[in-house]
Amino acid sequence: MLHRLESLESCNYNGMDVAVLERQAARLKWQQQNYVVQNNNLVELCASSMPQFQGLSGSNLGSGQMVQLKRPEVFLGSGDFQEFVNFPVAGAEFGDSEKLDLVPPEAAADYCISRTSSCQMTALNTSVMKEEREDMVLEKMESTTGSGRESFNKRKPEAVADHKGKNKRIKGEGESEVKTKCSTEISRNSSKENSKASEVQKLDYIHVRARRGQATDSHSLAERARREKISMKMKCLQDLVPGCNKITGKAGMLDEIINYVQSLQRQVEFLSMKIAALNSSVENLPMKEFPAYVANFPAAAKLPAMAGLPYFQLNPLQKESVNCMLNESMLPPQTATEGIASASVSISEQSLSSSSMTQLQPFSTWNMDPQCLYNMYNMGFH
Amino acid sequence: MNKYNPPRMNPSSLRSRFATRFLRSLSEINAQKPTASSSSPTEIFRRYRRIKVAADKSMAYSVRSRRTWSRAMLWKLRTRPCGRRSVKTSTIVRKTRHEKQNKNTTTATTTGEDGVVSGVEADELRELVPGGEAMDLYNLLDETAHYIKCLTTQVQVMKKIADFYSP
Repeated sequence: MLHRLESLESCNYNGMDVAVLERQAARLKWQQQNYVVQNNNLVELCASSMPQFQGLSGSNLGSGQMVQLKRPEVFLGSGDFQEFVNFPVAGAEFGDSEKLDLVPPEAAADYCISRTSSCQMTALNTSVMKEEREDMVLEKMESTTGSGRESFNKRKPEAVADHKGKNKRIKGEGESEVKTKCSTEISRNSSKENSKASEVQKLDYIHVRARRGQATDSHSLAERARREKISMKMKCLQDLVPGCNKITGKAGMLDEIINYVQSLQRQVEFLSMKIAALNSSVENLPMKEFPAYVANFPAAAKLPAMAGLPYFQLNPLQKESVNCMLNESMLPPQTATEGIASASVSISEQSLSSSSMTQLQPFSTWNMDPQCLYNMYNMGFH
Repeated sequence: MNKYNPPRMNPSSLRSRFATRFLRSLSEINAQKPTASSSSPTEIFRRYRRIKVAADKSMAYSVRSRRTWSRAMLWKLRTRPCGRRSVKTSTIVRKTRHEKQNKNTTTATTTGEDGVVSGVEADELRELVPGGEAMDLYNLLDETAHYIKCLTTQVQVMKKIADFYSP
């Protein structure tokens, strides 16, 4: 988080645009309106716990908005931002009575307002923030922080300075009270503080930018989300389709996918052609491949249709052996008895249903089933 | 035959479901086969078509209606009229589709509607994946991924069967 900030800072000084500044001004106006509403809500929310704050924020609303707007950007680049984020909760809410005489009035306003912004953040984060917006937000942030920093550059040093001083004071005083209510947001040692602060900081970014992005163009956000989804799917497909890894560019990948699907479909056609051709010639094949089966099949002699006989004799065994081949080559390990039992059961069920459905030669099919089962078990245990 | 190891088959896997269904329908096809003139080319072609349909059907059935493409395929197979008419209609449909595609290519090249993928490839893919005509690109890719998986298993199983049949 911090190094990202630093990089941001570095690019802040590089890219300063007049156009960006204008945009910034427009945005500030818009946010002012927004903040009035949000402030009011917050005041209502916090009214019970802190009457002083209500008065404060009410009186400072007019003057404070600008400060409030500037604040996050002023502190963005500096390392103090964590403190800034942590600080408001400690400062304004609980230590009010003692602190208000210590700090100058405008600083107090700052506290209140920064507190409100952080509260907004937590409230809005759940509803508004979406992960998809993150990069969008970050991109925007670069430009806006650039302009913001430039416009408020003069303010920065003193703001940081007095903020630092107060921050320390107030931390010392208000810590005990703060701990009780805001233990989640404030930690005692600095390392913890840093990590937590970075979290909060991150949330704050997203919150602010997301809201802005949402307001400006939701279309582009949706478009971005859609593209991300599509590119994810593309990656999945890339794994599926062989030879797709080398190709860059989605059009080329899609071409490759199309070719692959076509080739698979043609392969299926070819294979079914082959099976058809083979199947018709299988008739001529002798039964020498399945002597055991023929020997074990006493009902064969009783079957009336002699021409159809080889098929009926072949098929269950073929099923079985194909299953065996499949098992051998491709399938994940399972216990032999279970596998074969369930497979045979399913096959017998299916052949039962098929015989009842087709009604073509029910007798032979019915006759075949136990034999099929028997053979399967035999094969399974060899 | 006894050289096979003990089978390790997962009966609920897509492959085994497809294999059992397909073999069942194959046996049905064999059972219905007329006794005479089975080796004539027309007969072989007829058988080929039936086997093709059986393979598609068993694939779609073993996927069930969980996927759009399987539903579309089953629907097509169900509504497909039997006999020679089907061939004619299918060719006609193909022709019209090609015309459509040509139109689409012209429009897509002029407008360049999609920033990610040009519409031409997407439309081609839509034709290939059953039921993909009315899908947006994301769902289309999703269906395509699943369809490719299923097709590969289908090809593997059918290869095994063909190998087994061939002497």
